[in-house]
Amino acid sequence: MNPTGIAVALLQAVFVIACAPLLVGWTRLVRARLEGRVGAPIRQPWRDLRKWFVKERMVSEHTGWVFALAPLVLTGSAVLVAALVPSLSTSSALDQVGDLFAVVYLLLLGTVALSLAGLDAGTAFGGMGASREMTITAIAEPTVLVAIFALSVSAGSSNLGVIVADTLSRPSAAASPTNLLALAALAVVTVAETGRIPVDNPSTHLELTMIHEAMTLEFSGPDLAMIELAAHVRLVVFLTLLANLFVPWGIATTAQPLHLLVAAGAVLVKLTVLATIVATVEVFLAKVRLFRVPELLAASFVLAFLAVTASFFLA
Amino acid sequence: MKHTTFVQLLDLAVGAVLVTSFAALWLRRLATVTRVIAIQGFALAGVAAVIGVYEHETELIAVSVMVAVLRGLVLPGLINRTMRDGDERREVESLINIPASLLAAAVLTLVAYTATRSVVALDDSAQVRAMPLGVAVGLIGILLVVSRRKAVLQIIGVLMLDNGIALVMFLGTSGVPLAIELGVASDVLLAMFILQVLTSRIRTKFGGTDLDQLRELRD
Amino acid sequence: MDNVVLALPLAPLLAAVLIAVAGWNRVTAWAAPFASLAVVAGGVALATRVVDKGPVIALDGQLRVDAVSALMIILIGGVAAVTSTYGVAFVGTELRTDATTPERARLYGVLVAVTIAAMTVVVCADNLGLMWVAIETTTVATVLLVGHRRDRSSLEASWKYLVLGSVGIATALLGTVLVYFVARRGGIDASSALDWSALAEHSSALDPDATRVAVGLIIVGYGTKAGLAPLHSWLPDAYSEAPAPVAGLISGALSTMSMYALLRFKVIADLALGPDYVRNLLLVAALGSLVVAASLMITQRDYRRLLAYSSVEHMGLIALAAAVGSPLAMSAALLHMIGNGLAKSVTFSVIGEIRFLTGATLIRDVRGLLRRDPFIGTIFTLGLIALVGLPPFSILASEVAIVRAGIDDGLGWAIAIALAVMMVIFTSVAIHAFNMLLGEASDDHDVGSGAGAHVTPMTGRIALSGGLLVAAVVGITIRPIEQLLSAAAEILAR
Repeated sequence: MNPTGIAVALLQAVFVIACAPLLVGWTRLVRARLEGRVGAPIRQPWRDLRKWFVKERMVSEHTGWVFALAPLVLTGSAVLVAALVPSLSTSSALDQVGDLFAVVYLLLLGTVALSLAGLDAGTAFGGMGASREMTITAIAEPTVLVAIFALSVSAGSSNLGVIVADTLSRPSAAASPTNLLALAALAVVTVAETGRIPVDNPSTHLELTMIHEAMTLEFSGPDLAMIELAAHVRLVVFLTLLANLFVPWGIATTAQPLHLLVAAGAVLVKLTVLATIVATVEVFLAKVRLFRVPELLAASFVLAFLAVTASFFLA
Repeated sequence: MKHTTFVQLLDLAVGAVLVTSFAALWLRRLATVTRVIAIQGFALAGVAAVIGVYEHETELIAVSVMVAVLRGLVLPGLINRTMRDGDERREVESLINIPASLLAAAVLTLVAYTATRSVVALDDSAQVRAMPLGVAVGLIGILLVVSRRKAVLQIIGVLMLDNGIALVMFLGTSGVPLAIELGVASDVLLAMFILQVLTSRIRTKFGGTDLDQLRELRD
Repeated sequence: MDNVVLALPLAPLLAAVLIAVAGWNRVTAWAAPFASLAVVAGGVALATRVVDKGPVIALDGQLRVDAVSALMIILIGGVAAVTSTYGVAFVGTELRTDATTPERARLYGVLVAVTIAAMTVVVCADNLGLMWVAIETTTVATVLLVGHRRDRSSLEASWKYLVLGSVGIATALLGTVLVYFVARRGGIDASSALDWSALAEHSSALDPDATRVAVGLIIVGYGTKAGLAPLHSWLPDAYSEAPAPVAGLISGALSTMSMYALLRFKVIADLALGPDYVRNLLLVAALGSLVVAASLMITQRDYRRLLAYSSVEHMGLIALAAAVGSPLAMSAALLHMIGNGLAKSVTFSVIGEIRFLTGATLIRDVRGLLRRDPFIGTIFTLGLIALVGLPPFSILASEVAIVRAGIDDGLGWAIAIALAVMMVIFTSVAIHAFNMLLGEASDDHDVGSGAGAHVTPMTGRIALSGGLLVAAVVGITIRPIEQLLSAAAEILAR
């Protein structure tokens, strides 16, 4: 655990947290422009967060410690994952624990915390949102595991840094069936886990159509700010995984400042492209009916499964 | 063609064949399923073409053209005509729901790999290593036949089974002698014709091809 | 001699062309029976040549007629002769009673002739791929024949037949392809890697584990087509809904073709893997078929399905004999094929007459058959006697031989089960037959108008009696075919 490693890890965490609301702002701006509106500037999510942080924190008297703890758990796990995922460099101090299992279960920890908070509030919408979220997560989590496992078979290790380095060293493997299938599976899971169309509409105000939003209805003030920030960070984390596992060129393999700068620029470009794609998909696709969501997720699980089969049995 | 390029193209084509068979299980609209089977036919032709180019066998390239025409155009066109003639509902009806069918198909892929392990062990080339995927496509075709209630889907299942076996043929043997290939192809075509004829007769007699209505013969 | 081999499929094909061009009329209707008799004659000629001087090769090694093939050709010709001659009478009656149109009769004639031609190719082919193509052709041709009557139940039967048959035959194709693959990896030349003779000769070069997979698929695939349990569910529907002469043709010869293909592969498998693998698979299939057949014959209500399950039973017996595998068992199996073929062709045909007479298909709707129409009643009785294994017909001899061979070979337990099952079948057939044959002649249960006035035409009478006569002769003495039978059994035994 050398100091440079720690510095890189902290740097990654700060970088991701700083960029996440901006990226979400970019997504909203693209969506607005495509829909013919002017849209809010990119830094609007930061202004929303700042507004919420100073507002009064109102808590229902029917909630308990789960409700109070959930925002902290959610944000904490999101920040930790932000430090783990190789966004700037593959040589961070947390690299030894930067295992795919750790990442997946940290994300799951956050989801479970939020769902429990939704239940703890005791409202109908909270329970509805929590049950829907759990249904989606139950199928999406194995898909993430299996998809990254497929990648780890060819790289020889489930450490994210090693996988990224391996793809860097073998460019032709980027177009192999394993990678393509895993990419498709992870893309669907990203959409499902971050609550975007076609699984969930993030800008809906109709409670019966909500999944993620329904669980956060009871939060206010700093709690709400933390939850929203965590949601933004999770989106960026997923997009970073997509970007750096499959198109890793630009990432730094050392901790030299110049390389880190280049890496920051590269990952920002990739994230912007991905965010634009997400926004465009949101504009042009319709939300899938809830009972069809398991079919969509089952298809992505099968794609991930095929990726594993391909990694074992094909070149 | 370099060996690495050959392996990549081959894997892509074989992967496309397998993915289309999963897509046929997943989709809900009959018209889209037919289109997916047509894509599978073209992917199959692609496999034959890639192997033919790599091994410099013009016979195989000719076979690949025939496969593209037959399994990519003619047979899906027949199936389309069968569907269009009827005015029944155009949705898939199944005995097991879609996520369960997808999982069953994943299990069948594993079964195909374990069952043909001793066959694959005989040779180390990229083609032979991909052979179990052909068997998997065949098994998924049988799954379609067994679990779907619409007559058109059973036809598609039989066609998929034949596609899977053709894939095994191309990968394992670089095509059996041309005469056998022609015989097989013509028999498949004949069988499809007859299936279409039967479907139209069933439609006339029963008013729809929901196979649940065909339940008069039992012990 | 190779001209004779080529003439075998050509004669029925010519008949098909004739009927296609000129339609079905009183002259062209006889094309198929004559072609079948030509096939029998060709088979006899080939048999005499093969027994003396060994196999006949034609068409550059694609076709190879040995003792087994010659025997099968005679069987095909015989069954085809009986059923197509009866078919003349059958279609004539249908046309007369407006049960069918001239168009459909023409299609019927063409398809029957094509089926006969394809069957001859099956048994003459040395190339296993060509054999597969021929079997697939018979499947495709008979599907439309099964649906000849175009009513709801026959459509359902032909649909099930085609779909399940396609699945079965595709499995057999996969097995064939894998055999080719294994043969090529074993070093056999590409041009002969699917030739049965080459595979039998170089069997030591075949990798055992991979061959096991291939042969397993073959047994499942061709077993489905032959009607072995557990994949026999298409058989009762197809046999009962097909028009009577077609049912006779399919049950007498077509299922036997798939059994023949199985036996050819068994020879290669036994050489490459040792006899135990195929023996165990066949034992399971055989005993399963026997038990299924017996349990579904006891409570059977439709006399056509009763006969269909009898086919399942006999295929099971042949599979049992094949599982034993000794020369005695194989000659018993071949003799059983002949006996079953002849008896089935006659019995299924006479059922057509019963249906014309009473219009009924259920056992309880047919009463006093012996008194109502002595000819039909007698033929039906004799046919059933032949099928359950009573003298003077040959199935008794083949069943006794199977029992002996099984006990000699240490499979006494399987034989015991088979004997128990056969006793159950005997009893249930007897009871159903008594219900149909004995009692007062009454037309109370006749279905539909116009029934009851039917008299079997002379052509039909000749066909049915002739078939039974040949079956009886074979039962009394196998002297004419003894040499051929033992030569064929030698080839197939392990």
